[in-house]
Amino acid sequence: MRIPILKLQHYLLVSIQTEIDDNTAIQFQEDLLSKIHESGTSGVVIDLTSVDIIDSYIAKVLGDVVTMSDLMGAKVVLTGIQPAVAMTLIDLGIHLSNVPTALDLEQGLIKLRQELGE
Amino acid sequence: MTSQSCVSIRKELDIVGARQLGRDITKEVGFGLVDQARVTTAISELARNIYLYADEGEICCEALDYTNKKGIRITASDQGKGIEDVAKVMQDGYSTSGGLGAGLPGVKRLMDEFDLQTEVGKGSVISAVKWLR
Amino acid sequence: MDTKTKETLINNSDQVVEIWLDTMRKLKEDIYPEASMDLFEQTNREFINIIFSNINGEFSNDVFEDFSERVINLGWPLGYITDGLNAFRRVSIDFIIVQAESIDAAYNTEIARQVDEWSTPIIRHLVNSYSGSWENIVSLQRMALQELSAPLIPVIDRITIMPLIGTIDTDRAKLIMENLLEGVIRHNAEVVLIDITGVPVVDTMVAHHIIQAADAVRLIGSTCILVGIRPEIAQTIVNLGIDLGKFITKSSLKKGFKTALQMTDREILDYETEKQSIEEIIDSIDKE
Repeated sequence: MRIPILKLQHYLLVSIQTEIDDNTAIQFQEDLLSKIHESGTSGVVIDLTSVDIIDSYIAKVLGDVVTMSDLMGAKVVLTGIQPAVAMTLIDLGIHLSNVPTALDLEQGLIKLRQELGE
Repeated sequence: MTSQSCVSIRKELDIVGARQLGRDITKEVGFGLVDQARVTTAISELARNIYLYADEGEICCEALDYTNKKGIRITASDQGKGIEDVAKVMQDGYSTSGGLGAGLPGVKRLMDEFDLQTEVGKGSVISAVKWLR
Repeated sequence: MDTKTKETLINNSDQVVEIWLDTMRKLKEDIYPEASMDLFEQTNREFINIIFSNINGEFSNDVFEDFSERVINLGWPLGYITDGLNAFRRVSIDFIIVQAESIDAAYNTEIARQVDEWSTPIIRHLVNSYSGSWENIVSLQRMALQELSAPLIPVIDRITIMPLIGTIDTDRAKLIMENLLEGVIRHNAEVVLIDITGVPVVDTMVAHHIIQAADAVRLIGSTCILVGIRPEIAQTIVNLGIDLGKFITKSSLKKGFKTALQMTDREILDYETEKQSIEEIIDSIDKE
């Protein structure tokens, strides 16, 4: 199972629609980083509206991907985290405090422009 | 009256199977969306622990139905090497696998009751209960 | 119970009732000095009627429940019901024994056993319906409390306010967090103001819950502003060493709202033009 990564203007868009297992998560990390490298994009939005479970491992992979992208010069914004998912993450003690977030894809793109100062 | 279903954890993909079991049973018991996510996430953490540290084990879910309250009990058991320092694994941020170290203390916070029995060299049994509010 | 003992009681019900009422009157002085005499008498009569209709075999759950609900509404404790029933047990045993021709220990014990056997179900029933009604009231109140627990007010596009009132415990904190997050999604709120003016005490636990809520709000992609921080709350927060540095905090809802508007690229403007035109009219009147 691979998560599709779309290109919109000069940004990358990812909408995760499937249950994420550990392999998918790692595969996604690799795919996204190579796509950033290929396209030279400066911004990525990852939409998690359809994700109903994020456990500590997936959270770590997501957090890592944000930091890694940052290193490669691309800002990542996470959007659409569900209330139930947010509450479980807080219970787990995971705050993802270095990750920018937005309510939905549209807000995410606006946030990305702000973060990039465009 | 209780009913129990189990999933054995041998490969990574079994974690997803355990999660699905959690989703089904929490829905059946009548948990709200948020508690469904809490219990399912706790199962995911426990299943991953088995996969990472014990190679092989079992996750069981049991719907609890008493006269005055309902809930779900998760039992994670393995015959792995056991836990040497229980106090340490219950500490936030402690990890031997390079994870976030949120696993066991996180599970404790996600659930209402938490119990850990372990014997070095023999394995561990973790049992956690969430009550319907 | 043996029909003969039962009959003795029923045939002499007037006398038994009188003795029982008397016993209860003595109890009143000690235990229920606040209840008015009339009300106490009336309730006692109702009580003894229920007991006797039960001896007659006219058993009815509804009657039990109605009665225990009345006792609860009067604010009398469960002790009233158990006292009354115990008194009745003693009175009936004494009465039957006095009536009996022969007086021997075996007979007395037998009577006591019979009366016990018959009165235990009544006690169980009344106590159950009393505690049942009580639990019912408690759960209704809990529900009522939950309903007023955490309202979410969408004041203007993209900005929502949640006023918190009263003490925050772990259960309430969870409920508040759920309402808050669901509401933010429902109203598509980019900024949410949490007003703690109505929270009497902010200790480490309450602060912890508020911080968690604010963190969760951030995760779903919105921003939280904490408002209503009174001087004494600011003091306790610092004295307890709680770090709210990550969050935007304001002393009043008014200031917080202004910040929220700025964050969503808006501001409040006075409608100057209208004022000016009125001033012009006044000016022109002066000139005439």
